[in-house]
Amino acid sequence: MAAKKKRTPNVQNDSWVVVAADSVIDTDRPERDPSFVRLRNPSTDSASLYMLGGDDLQLYEVKAFEEDFHSWFVGQTVQRDGRLLFVTPMDPLFLILPYLIKVGKEGKFQPVDQVVMDEEFPACSRLLSCTRSQASLHHIAEEKEVGSLKFHRYSQEKTMTWLKKKVERTVVALKKRNISVGEGVKSTTYVRVKSESDYHEEDYLRYAHGLISEYISEDLSKALLIHLELPELTSPKETEPPSKKRKLSDKPVEAGEDYTKFNSADFARKPPKKMTAAQKSLAKVDKSGMKPMSSFFSPKVKAEKK
Amino acid sequence: MDLSPFEKDNSVSCRLASQIPDVCKIEDCCLGIDEAGRGPVLGPMVYGICFCPVSKKEELKDLKVADSKTLTEAERENLFQKLDEARNFVGWALQILSPNIISTSMLQRTKYNLNALSHDTAIGLVQYALDSGVQLKEVYVDTVGPAEKYEEKLSQRFPGIEVTVRPKADSLFPIVSAASICAKVARDRVVKGWNFSEDLGELDTDYGSGYPNDPKTKVWLLKYLDPVFGYPQFVRFSWSTAQTLMDSKAVTVHWDDDEEDGEKAAQRQNNRSMLSYFGASAGGNNQNPTHQTHRFFTERRLKSLDTL
Repeated sequence: MAAKKKRTPNVQNDSWVVVAADSVIDTDRPERDPSFVRLRNPSTDSASLYMLGGDDLQLYEVKAFEEDFHSWFVGQTVQRDGRLLFVTPMDPLFLILPYLIKVGKEGKFQPVDQVVMDEEFPACSRLLSCTRSQASLHHIAEEKEVGSLKFHRYSQEKTMTWLKKKVERTVVALKKRNISVGEGVKSTTYVRVKSESDYHEEDYLRYAHGLISEYISEDLSKALLIHLELPELTSPKETEPPSKKRKLSDKPVEAGEDYTKFNSADFARKPPKKMTAAQKSLAKVDKSGMKPMSSFFSPKVKAEKK
Repeated sequence: MDLSPFEKDNSVSCRLASQIPDVCKIEDCCLGIDEAGRGPVLGPMVYGICFCPVSKKEELKDLKVADSKTLTEAERENLFQKLDEARNFVGWALQILSPNIISTSMLQRTKYNLNALSHDTAIGLVQYALDSGVQLKEVYVDTVGPAEKYEEKLSQRFPGIEVTVRPKADSLFPIVSAASICAKVARDRVVKGWNFSEDLGELDTDYGSGYPNDPKTKVWLLKYLDPVFGYPQFVRFSWSTAQTLMDSKAVTVHWDDDEEDGEKAAQRQNNRSMLSYFGASAGGNNQNPTHQTHRFFTERRLKSLDTL
């Protein structure tokens, strides 16, 4: 510390801190390393990072926990990149589905290895090697067998059924883990005193649908919403669940929490209270020099206001 | 004065004391309190007490324990020697508050400010004297904060003892002056012999007076400011001089529990306006413009990656 320490130059990061499922490291075949692959994200239609386990038997999704001002101490070195990567098992059907849908328009039965092809992401063909892939195609497609060969054609109907099951399983998981699905509090660290029975089943369904939508296209997401018989939400007001009790009073309604806390810079105005229309127009007026209305009223009216 | 107990660990608070003279346990005594090193940004703050029988006030005066501020360090050392030699009727005790203790007290979540720390330390020392059997009847102390309030506080805390709180008490009452000498000598020795636990190599000891407005001190602070770890523990982090320097020269730190207005927070987090989620052409990063990540992920700060 005596001499001004020179900051070490930023180098390209070549190591990451990862939390992964045990299965990623295949201890039986140590020479088969898992690998990161770039594949087409079904929701965004652009590249996302995934991982394929040894021998491409299992697909994993990769998420990064990222916050400001984080770094890692790894042994005796400092790793500037403070992200924590999570590698979790994922159903390869989600990534295979878009390719089936694309050729599904043609209406023909086709061998799946000719369908799952992508110039931009050639690694996608590896998805077919996953243990679950071939055996599960019938969940999303009609299957025809000719001799030893199998042919598939995308089925919207089957896919909807399959997705609905996914949503339902997600709901079970959400409940089991006490995930907050209500519209009220957004913080994951806030411990709700409310019991989970206060959430409507619809809250769970919507949340689960939203989660599953991260893995399917927008069109499919909309179709799934209909299939689940959940009406589409078009404006913020409609997201307020009926279970929330708001006291009706003449006083101006105050927001439950400070929603303006994380406003971005392009919000010029801060509206902390929900004002009535009259209050809103009053707020816009220059009130300097004006007496408040209350000053004209007193218990004993001394002078009659004319 | 044996400082080894403090030198063992200079990050905490330490009490040092002389033997209690027998006569102090029998006769009515007066006690003076004073401190040293309250203002500097470097080194410890030392609180000292000195006590002797009321009957020996004149003998104390004869020791020539004058206003310690006008004395040089060598003169103070001399006077302390004399006090030490008068141990048959003079006793003393010190509380050394390390810079680390001062910093952590002032910066802790429920703030413990310097005045409160000072009062508690003084009270602790007086109590120590009482517990040791000193027959205290009079206490003299310099003001810390408003004099009347302090006098009242001490009087209430020590019923039966006549408490006198006066500004410049060290020049009015020899017993306070004696306490002042003990405190200053202790501080000087501790500062001189400061054991830096940090690895600073060839240490530059030219830090001037240690007061925040001393240019030499400022230069020294800047020299030993580490952009990540701040200063050596010799420095009081809670001093505004130290903090200002860190704010401008050290790495930016964001403390989650600091109050931050919404706009700043949003800018920092690069948040998108709520409005951007409603509407056909919402700007996205490298993603499909209308794609908004489900809150399960955003709430947990989880993102997909397109590359490592």
